[in-house]
Amino acid sequence: MSEVQTKPSEARYRIAVDTGGTFTDVVLDSTTGDMAVGKALTTYDRVFTGFEASVRRAAESVGWDGDEVLRNADVIVYGTTHATNAVLTGKVAKTALLTTDGFADTLLLREGGRRDAFDSKAAYPPPYIPRQLTFEINERMSAEGDVLVPLDEEQVREILGSFKEQGIEAVAVSFLWSIINDVHERRIAELIKEILPGVPYTLSNEANPTIREYRRSSAASIDASLKPLMADHLGKLRADLQEFGFAGDLLVVTSEGAVLDVADVLDRPVLLLNSGPSMAPLVGAAAAPDRDTVVVCDMGGTTFDVSLVEEGVVRHTREAWLGEPFVGHLTGLSSVAVSSIGAGGGSIAWIDGGGLLRVGPQSARSTPGPAAYGRGGEEPTVTDACVALGYLDTEGFEGGFTLDREAAVRAIDTRIAGPLKMDTLQAAQAILDVSANHMATAIRQAALEQGVDPRGALIVAGGGAGAMVAAAIGVLLEADTVLIPATAGVLAAYGAHRAPIATEFLSPLHNDTRSFDAGSATRAVGDLTSKANVFAERFNGVGEAPNVTYFVDARYPGQAWDLRVYLDAAPDTAVDAAGIIERAFHEEHDRRNGTHDPDSRVEIITWGVRVEIPRPEHAKEEAGVSRTGEVHRTDSIVFGGESFSTQRYRGVTLAPRDKIVGPAVIDQPTTTIVVPPEWNATLDERSNIYLTRKEA
Amino acid sequence: MTREFDPVKLSVLANAFDGIVREMTSGLLRSARSSVINTARDFSCAVLTADNQLLAAAEGVPVHVFGAGPLGEDMVELHDDIREGDAFLHNDPYMGNSHAADHVILVPIFIQGRHLFTAVTKAHQADCGNSLPTTFFATARDVYEEGALIFPCVRVQRDYKDIDDIIRMCRSRIRVPDQWYGDYLASVGASRIAERRIHELAEKFGVDDLVDFVDAWFDYSERLTASAIETLPEYVLHGTSAHDPFPGTGPDGVHLQATLEVKPKQGKIVIDLRDNPDNLPNGLNLTKATATGAALAGILSGIPENLPSNAGTFRRVEVLLRDGCAVGVPKHPYSCSSGTTNLADRVVNIVQAAFSQIDDGYGTAEGAAGQAPAKSVISGIDERNGNPYVNQILVGGVGGPATPYVDGWPTYQRPVCGALLYHDSVEVDEQRYPILIHERTLVADTGGAGRQRGGLATRVTMEPRGESVTLTYGIEGKLNPPKGVRGGHDGAVPSTWVEDLATGERREIPVVGRYDLQSGEKVVSITPGGGGYGNPLERDVLAVLDDYRESRVSLEAAAADYGVVIADGKVDEEATAKARQERLAS
Repeated sequence: MSEVQTKPSEARYRIAVDTGGTFTDVVLDSTTGDMAVGKALTTYDRVFTGFEASVRRAAESVGWDGDEVLRNADVIVYGTTHATNAVLTGKVAKTALLTTDGFADTLLLREGGRRDAFDSKAAYPPPYIPRQLTFEINERMSAEGDVLVPLDEEQVREILGSFKEQGIEAVAVSFLWSIINDVHERRIAELIKEILPGVPYTLSNEANPTIREYRRSSAASIDASLKPLMADHLGKLRADLQEFGFAGDLLVVTSEGAVLDVADVLDRPVLLLNSGPSMAPLVGAAAAPDRDTVVVCDMGGTTFDVSLVEEGVVRHTREAWLGEPFVGHLTGLSSVAVSSIGAGGGSIAWIDGGGLLRVGPQSARSTPGPAAYGRGGEEPTVTDACVALGYLDTEGFEGGFTLDREAAVRAIDTRIAGPLKMDTLQAAQAILDVSANHMATAIRQAALEQGVDPRGALIVAGGGAGAMVAAAIGVLLEADTVLIPATAGVLAAYGAHRAPIATEFLSPLHNDTRSFDAGSATRAVGDLTSKANVFAERFNGVGEAPNVTYFVDARYPGQAWDLRVYLDAAPDTAVDAAGIIERAFHEEHDRRNGTHDPDSRVEIITWGVRVEIPRPEHAKEEAGVSRTGEVHRTDSIVFGGESFSTQRYRGVTLAPRDKIVGPAVIDQPTTTIVVPPEWNATLDERSNIYLTRKEA
Repeated sequence: MTREFDPVKLSVLANAFDGIVREMTSGLLRSARSSVINTARDFSCAVLTADNQLLAAAEGVPVHVFGAGPLGEDMVELHDDIREGDAFLHNDPYMGNSHAADHVILVPIFIQGRHLFTAVTKAHQADCGNSLPTTFFATARDVYEEGALIFPCVRVQRDYKDIDDIIRMCRSRIRVPDQWYGDYLASVGASRIAERRIHELAEKFGVDDLVDFVDAWFDYSERLTASAIETLPEYVLHGTSAHDPFPGTGPDGVHLQATLEVKPKQGKIVIDLRDNPDNLPNGLNLTKATATGAALAGILSGIPENLPSNAGTFRRVEVLLRDGCAVGVPKHPYSCSSGTTNLADRVVNIVQAAFSQIDDGYGTAEGAAGQAPAKSVISGIDERNGNPYVNQILVGGVGGPATPYVDGWPTYQRPVCGALLYHDSVEVDEQRYPILIHERTLVADTGGAGRQRGGLATRVTMEPRGESVTLTYGIEGKLNPPKGVRGGHDGAVPSTWVEDLATGERREIPVVGRYDLQSGEKVVSITPGGGGYGNPLERDVLAVLDDYRESRVSLEAAAADYGVVIADGKVDEEATAKARQERLAS
């Protein structure tokens, strides 16, 4: 930075913050179009402390006044892993579940299935709410919503009356078929208000109005159990911010890859689950809105997250497990589709009983960390391989300490190179190759499971370690371009910075394209439209004009899994809505599953609408000064077994449209970008770096 | 040469083939029409090599895929004009298939004109044209009474187009033909996905590399298996089990046994199933594929290490079968309609439990089996819309076997598929079929007591919504419940009755067969619990307390079976120590 300059006081700011397990990342921008990035340690006792520190650090890096940024912020977007961690560690409110008589084991049984049939050490997981806090209520609806057994209010009163003594802090209610007739669930809500005033509760048909009792019960239970906790957490943050003088809007990142007003999230905290990895894909969507397929990879120390963006649209799923598949918890709520594997800079390389080189999923984590950290780690990791090959700058590592190359080499020699009769560099290259292959496979699988061809996709790589292996993954996936966003080291905060305000409304109502009930369809669509309008009006002035998209969840007769089909316009029964939905479904089914059945009728399970309110972008001012890339050192670095004299650039000295010919390394404050000999790097106007293959 | 295959590439390609099989699996699950496939996930996908060796079978159901090789052998033996664009339909139990209800689609995959791989999907059909609406016709005296359409690996697609003759045959003889055709499309779609992906792999790596990879991967898997077997002590294990009496078995049921020779010096295990009864005049007979698959599944379950499921691993295991044996190679026309379940479950149990004879830390208890009414094939006409339906429902699980390390899983479905299958959503079942499910609940004290407890049984109660629902089922383990091992107790026996809704009067129903459940009746179905592992007096006291608090073990059973005295919701430590000491001494 050549000159420190304080912005005029009329500048307004926007702040996006992502509090992770270790670091609180922040992205700031001002109405002048400038942007700043910062990191500080997460503070668990009082989240605002770490938040404030990271804002100050980011502000100072561009010569702004941190206090002023906080006070003059119009919007703060807050992303937190607090809810996810609370659920995974069980540190939630003591919650009771009321459910239909005969179904107390729904949360325990889940939906069945397991990963490995023969793993004799895998224990069956406990239910989210223990059976002793699950109460079976005499009541029952039929699949058509008729009352088969009326609600036993006396029984309910007695049970609710015992909760105070039992120390119950929240109540979840999940009855069979409440999606068709919710009168029993609503009556329970009234009784809770009467008998247990002030105790938070969640009704299943409000938490997630979907068929399949496990998912709905699970969503309701998790939601209720988070209410006291998140009210406290978000309430404190809001109070701290107000005390500091912040008077803007506080928005919170949700699992849907969007943000909502803090009040909406307090009503439905289940929307916070898995919200952490939901932001990175937005960066991909924004970076290349016209690309057919964008694959966004976020590689940190232990986890590699993959998500897909098609034609600017971020892919969503309703099958996101919290924890491991089959043994974690599932809510069935739509969330950004992110698949995670245990692969990162800290992944340990080892040799198995058959003599095969394996990498991960075990990680050296931050303690002891990779051997190169010099903290007693003896197992070779991906980071150690990068150190041995010369990718990482041992002097200027982002962690703020020097890396021990000798320790890295020693670990690789002892554990890998020796047994496999390779030299150090071959072994290091092999570790990197295996690791890159895991990641490429994870990407391919994530793509293919969604019926998307990953070849030729644009790969967007971020996270601390992502940019080191980005080109290698590109080769494996036959991609000719890899994009490293300017904010690669703080991908999630950057995504939060750009995220729209969005929500979905659902109306589960069965219909059939060949015996179409136009009346009920019209009512459902009308109801969704008015809900969408009411929601959009609340944000008048905060965002731009809302995008309202209608969809149906539909299936062929007999299928169990419905397919979400987005429609070009609101279904209008006056103009062959049934025919339009049917044709759109055939097309989507063919795209996703490789076949379709054009003669078949289509069943509609749920009608839905998504309201998305984009938030305005501050125009980026033209970069006036031309900066010349500064080469701070020339190293000898090994690529594919061959040693190359390689220039190391300082990222901050590069100017838009600069072009760097590989081999090269670009050292940035939060990440290291490796440009192999077959690749070039080019900066765009916003300092995003495109790696492109030379022959391409 | 295999030692020289680049270890990195080896791992890459192994992952790639696994990924292909997972992709097939996901596609088939999402697009299938019948709930036994799209909800219970009763299907498997695999890739075979050119010489019909099982290469990859990620998440495949053991009894489906471990014997998949012979399916490919049938295809190349019967057809000398195989070419790209072909697909074959195979469900012949007298050749390489399991039972006739498992429709296999084989797609030969050609690369540069050479047939190098075969994609296999095997899916349990909702109906296969049997004379009764069931895919498990346990009482069928022979294949003629069974009545299924048998396709001995016939070509069903040429040049990527259906051969309509075959499709029409199926449509005319399989109940709810649109459902069958939708499932067929889903299976073919999954195989075609594999074909596309393998072509892409070949383009990237070259044909020679793929061919060399196969050898290297099998060698690697074999080495891994050999090293696992080398750590076992030399042992001859003998295991027995008995199947309850069914029609056609005689009054004593079917007594089965197996001898396992563990040969650490050769790194090999030999399982001998030859000394067992001849083919039975009912549907219980195994096929070559299911007898082999069940034995292999028992081994993988019994050995503590996790081994890859492929032909390289299986080179270290020899399964000896006999022609005309009920748990061997069946003689036509004996029926194999229930050949994937009843006796196959018993074979898995014999083998996995036999390993526990070696020492603590090996083998498992027996897992529960049987097809209680909660898991029956239901059929009839849905009066709500006039549509006929036939399908297997999987509302409840059975108790899984305790292992040396963990309690049995309550979501176990049966030994041949472990807990891999899913179970149905009550709401989805009630929407699709005219049934009302009153309860799905785990039953306390049904898991065999042990240091590790057997999995709990499930009780399911159902009522027809309309006039009637036909249930086809078969209850197993009433006389021979799942055995506990190393001091663990047996799992609880299954129990089933029909109850008159008005009077509450209980009626016994036959152990196996068909029952038309009428309006005004409900069926109560309690599955068996799993066997326990180790002495229950050694069970962690807090685990017993937790079981009590969570309604898995009653107060009485905590004291009687585990010697744990609980009072006021807390463990009486003194009384417990005393009770356990006395019991251990006696």
